[in-house]
Amino acid sequence: MNPLTLIVLPLLGAIATAIGPSSWARWTAFLFSLAVLAGSIVCAVQFPEWHTGRYWPDANEGSTLKAFGISMQLGGDSVNMLLLLLTTFMVPLTLAGSFSGITERHREYYTWFMLLEASLMLAFLSRDLILFYVGYEFTLVPMFFLISIWGGTQRRPAAIKFFLFTFLGSIFTLAAGIYVAARSAEASGVWDFGLASLTRFGCEQLTDREQFWVFAGLVAGFAVKTPVFPVHSWLPLAHDQAPTGGSVILAAVLLKLGTYGVYRIALPMAPAGAVELASFFGVLGILAIVVTAMICWVQTDVKKLIAYSSISHMGFVIMGLFAFNPIGMQGSIMYMISHGLSTGALFLCIGMIYERFHTKEMDAMSGLARHMPVWGTFMIIFTLASLGLPGLNGFPGEFLCLMGTFVAEHDQPAGYPGVMGPWFAVVAAGGLILGAMYLLIMLGKIVWGPLKVPGASADPHEHAHGDQGHGGLSRDLNVREIAILLPIAIACFFTGLYPRLLLDVTEPSAREALVSFPEHVNAYNAARGKVNPSGAKQSVTLMPSPTGSLPRLMIEQPLQVTP
Amino acid sequence: MSGSFLAVAVLGDAAQAAHTGSHLESLVNAVIPKATAAPELAWAGWILLLPVLSAVLCTAFAALRVKNKLPAIVTVVSLGAAFALVLKLYLMRGPEAAPVVVHLWDWMNFSWGGGPWKSFQADVSLYIDSLTLLWMLFVTGLGTLIALYASEYMESDRGAGYCRFFFGVSIFLLAMSALVMADNLVLLYFGWEGVGLASYLLIGYDYHRPAAVEAAKKAFIMNRIGDLGLAVGIWLIWVNYGSVEFATLFQVFTNATSDAGGWDRSLIPFCLMLGAFGKSAQLPLFTWLPDAMEGPTPVSALIHAATMVTAGVYLLARMEPLFVLHPHAMTTVAWVGGLTALLAATIGMAQYDIKRVFAYSTISQLGYMFMGLGVGTAFGAAYHVLTHAFFKALLFLTAGAIMHGFAGQLDLRRLSGLRRVPGFGIVCWTMLIGCLWLSAFPYTAGFFSKDIILVQAMSQPKFQLLGWIGLATAGLTAYYTFRVWFRVCAGPVSFVSGELAHQTDHAQHATTADLHGAPHAHTGTASHSSHANESHAGGFHPHAPRLAINFVLLLLGLGAILSGIPGIQSLRGQHNWVQEMVYASTAVRASGELHTTTPVAFGLDAHGIVSVFGIGAALGGILIAWWLHRLNRRMADRLRSMLLSNSLTRWLPTSMENKWYVDEVYHALFRLPMWIASHLLNFFDRHIVDGLMVNGLGRVPVLIGRLFQPLYNGLLQGYATTMAGGLVLVLAWVAWKWLGAGGAA
Repeated sequence: MNPLTLIVLPLLGAIATAIGPSSWARWTAFLFSLAVLAGSIVCAVQFPEWHTGRYWPDANEGSTLKAFGISMQLGGDSVNMLLLLLTTFMVPLTLAGSFSGITERHREYYTWFMLLEASLMLAFLSRDLILFYVGYEFTLVPMFFLISIWGGTQRRPAAIKFFLFTFLGSIFTLAAGIYVAARSAEASGVWDFGLASLTRFGCEQLTDREQFWVFAGLVAGFAVKTPVFPVHSWLPLAHDQAPTGGSVILAAVLLKLGTYGVYRIALPMAPAGAVELASFFGVLGILAIVVTAMICWVQTDVKKLIAYSSISHMGFVIMGLFAFNPIGMQGSIMYMISHGLSTGALFLCIGMIYERFHTKEMDAMSGLARHMPVWGTFMIIFTLASLGLPGLNGFPGEFLCLMGTFVAEHDQPAGYPGVMGPWFAVVAAGGLILGAMYLLIMLGKIVWGPLKVPGASADPHEHAHGDQGHGGLSRDLNVREIAILLPIAIACFFTGLYPRLLLDVTEPSAREALVSFPEHVNAYNAARGKVNPSGAKQSVTLMPSPTGSLPRLMIEQPLQVTP
Repeated sequence: MSGSFLAVAVLGDAAQAAHTGSHLESLVNAVIPKATAAPELAWAGWILLLPVLSAVLCTAFAALRVKNKLPAIVTVVSLGAAFALVLKLYLMRGPEAAPVVVHLWDWMNFSWGGGPWKSFQADVSLYIDSLTLLWMLFVTGLGTLIALYASEYMESDRGAGYCRFFFGVSIFLLAMSALVMADNLVLLYFGWEGVGLASYLLIGYDYHRPAAVEAAKKAFIMNRIGDLGLAVGIWLIWVNYGSVEFATLFQVFTNATSDAGGWDRSLIPFCLMLGAFGKSAQLPLFTWLPDAMEGPTPVSALIHAATMVTAGVYLLARMEPLFVLHPHAMTTVAWVGGLTALLAATIGMAQYDIKRVFAYSTISQLGYMFMGLGVGTAFGAAYHVLTHAFFKALLFLTAGAIMHGFAGQLDLRRLSGLRRVPGFGIVCWTMLIGCLWLSAFPYTAGFFSKDIILVQAMSQPKFQLLGWIGLATAGLTAYYTFRVWFRVCAGPVSFVSGELAHQTDHAQHATTADLHGAPHAHTGTASHSSHANESHAGGFHPHAPRLAINFVLLLLGLGAILSGIPGIQSLRGQHNWVQEMVYASTAVRASGELHTTTPVAFGLDAHGIVSVFGIGAALGGILIAWWLHRLNRRMADRLRSMLLSNSLTRWLPTSMENKWYVDEVYHALFRLPMWIASHLLNFFDRHIVDGLMVNGLGRVPVLIGRLFQPLYNGLLQGYATTMAGGLVLVLAWVAWKWLGAGGAA
């Protein structure tokens, strides 16, 4: 199947939604998104390079359309496919989750949503820098309208801040990309924005100083999108004000554009710069994890809490990416996928509450497990996934990201030396405790505790016994809402219990991305006086000792056996 | 007194005989055999799958709104089947078989070259040796019994709550089995966090009570602090030894003579210790366990007394080959254990809630276990785990039966003479067994297991002080244990039924009590036993336990009695089962038993000291309790008020009753500063990062526009002005640069 189909299908969906009657809009969009999901599954089945780390279709096949060095190269490797599947999986569920929440201007809403999906497909499938940039930037437009039309009371400032902030960041990304392309054109005489050739040129031909600035420029945009700690302030506001569907897709997929950009473009194109800035980003990752986790602790608005927790979680991804070893790299990819599932699902859960009670204030509600047991069950599952409970999806990613950071030392025996090391990981692992604190406090406030239904009369039993809930919805989740959350919950369990599937397919891609790093890291460390003693840690012999040599007893005084 | 001297003589001779000509001697210095793969044992995976199955079925029952006892039946049957499988595994392999690894399926597993440091292998595989089997036998066995007990205990909650409860129990058994049977540290971590989750869900079972929610949260977070230590330990082990699989690691540890090779390598035992201290409620992370008593009593018995809290002991026993490599690791464990034992016992003396007394006694007994590990007798520690599992589960279940019967009443000042209340005979007499065993009454299982640990401590000069602390704690233990029994079971019959607000597992019973008359006032003041029921003022009828509860209590009592057999065998110098199991496991190297014949003090050797003073402490504690809480209860109150009235001694009862203010200190030291910091950071984030920097930057073009705005009217012009202004500024800057450059040239 031609990957182009996956971009054309949502575009067609957008057109069909736009020209069809308003009452059909939701179903048109939903059916088209299902078609895209089916298409992506077919693509995934056909995809031949799951275990090789190569791209498909091959870079040369798709480059028939070419103008000004920009070529219509589409395709990807296993990581692209995973992110693609995440997107096409989440979009239909998000659309179905919007059915009851969107009460006006249906046609526009679903049209913008399909355009968003198309641009996401373009971003994840492009093998050309400019094409990627087009998809990457165009996601802003539908998102801007989704927030500013269907958002909360402060939707305008939120939308404008979201748009301007991320746009400003990505200008740097574009500039850095164009710089590399210009240098490449200077050298070869031909303009070519193909990612493969740019990456090769960037890591092989640019000087360390150039790579530093190229990396800084590229990451400036990606960092805003991710978001990395000090440039995150658009996110809580955007999440808070966006409609449920917008929040879900923002958390589940849009944030991944930033980390995907770092993984696919910034790291391979300017490895020397990445190495030089690794400890800087390590510190930012720690700040994101720890500081935002503490900010989460004092939030009163549950949606803001989840939004801040997103920033905290993306800190783990950043740590893993800058560990420069397969453990951290694969952990990051695992974490991107699992964060998309669990945080997206948490936003859906919060949306279901908001549709019923029109409040997101944690103080206004309590003990909803009694009122809505099914919703409570899902909420608990996704919260536990989010705090990294083993057996659910959050754990493999979180554990591997931190472990990758931990082992990223100059004398690491795994053959992948790093810059960060144990202290970064230990401080960041404080996020494990803080994460448990704020998430369990959230659960304790809204799911557990004495029953308090927002907006209910003084006698809670009146509502507890009535089957009809608020906002025209049933008291507990209806079949549609269960059907939305159940696939995500299954995916959460599956990813947590059998992460092998994802780890297997990301391993070649991660190794490919890391191929030039050990050399750069060693050079960087050597310049700072940290010599890599080959096999420094391997002094423990793995061979069995000759028989007869007795192991030493801990107890120091001589062993006296009384006859 | 002559009796105790006789005991000394018997003990002294027999314990020496235990180490003559025993084949165990050769095992002490044995190298841990390399584990072999055993794919034919794949059916052992059902031990993990059966609880999963019952958890899934309980969820389905909840969805189908099942209102009968089906969830309990399914859980009891599947846990019983798991126990049968463990038993089969044990019978097939015997106590001394070499360890095997059973691979079930791949979990977190990838490689970039293969071999140490070039791969990360953490599969769902089982490492089965005798230590695994020892733990699994009592975990699944007690799990089944307690689930059976809970089927009656929780019956008033039939419906969604009943399903949820048995779902939690199943999840707990799954996680605990994974923890104990894991063949790698990451799967152990899975079980470690999983038991934390089960504990969280079950402590917060009565989630409408804020206290339960708070306690559940506290338990999970305190455990997470420990888990962080465990996680760091796992990473350090991978960095230093290149693998997280036990089979590989134990070969490395066996061949190593020390853990020299960098500070990070010697840090590993201390990281693992933090995890163990969190899970097993030792200093400094013990404060969650007493609060965990908010959970239903079967949960307290199963998770917070018998099984989960011994996970820390298991981890240390399992990783013993690593711990003995570090010269100070085991010493630290011993001291933390000993001090925790003492501290918890002093708090337990001054609590009035029966379950809390037992909770502090659990912490204290866990302290003994860690002390045993630390002073070098893994056998003593494991044996104490085993005996403690029986008698403490028994004690909690009797407390639960009382709570069940008296509408949630657990205050030992408000219950008295229960052994004369009809239907509570079995409860009181099995409770007596539990109390005797806990207070280490001579020739009970608790006495043997504690004795082994204390002898081991006493026989080493550097641990002698610890031995004395252990003996003193034994006296305190006997006192607070019998304080409960003499108050609650002996004396004149009198009781006050529980209130809804007070620790009610059973809201419904309290409610039925309320129907009979005014609440909180059902005082039974019968002077004679047989008429207790008729003479109640308010007509409150204690709800006597029925078949399932009594059956389980009797079975546990029997188990507690039988758990003394290995101790008697050890005394007679025969092979004993627990010792064989421990010696055949990875904990073998720290089981070098030391027996001095040189006098330690008062002309007695270690055995003599421990026997004389141990028996003396137990009997003395019981006697004081008998005097203060059976014969002369006013005396106890007078003593307390006397201490309180004197300003010099007031601190003692106050701080003991307030748990030495540990919670308050932690709040002031950690929680409060963090809370303040969080608010400051939130303010900083909203007003400095977002407000000043981002919005301020956004304002710059607007401000420039404002400069020119008076010249124009209207929005469009405003924008145009901004643009023009910007253009002018840019041009000005370019011109200035150009001129400046020109001027410089």
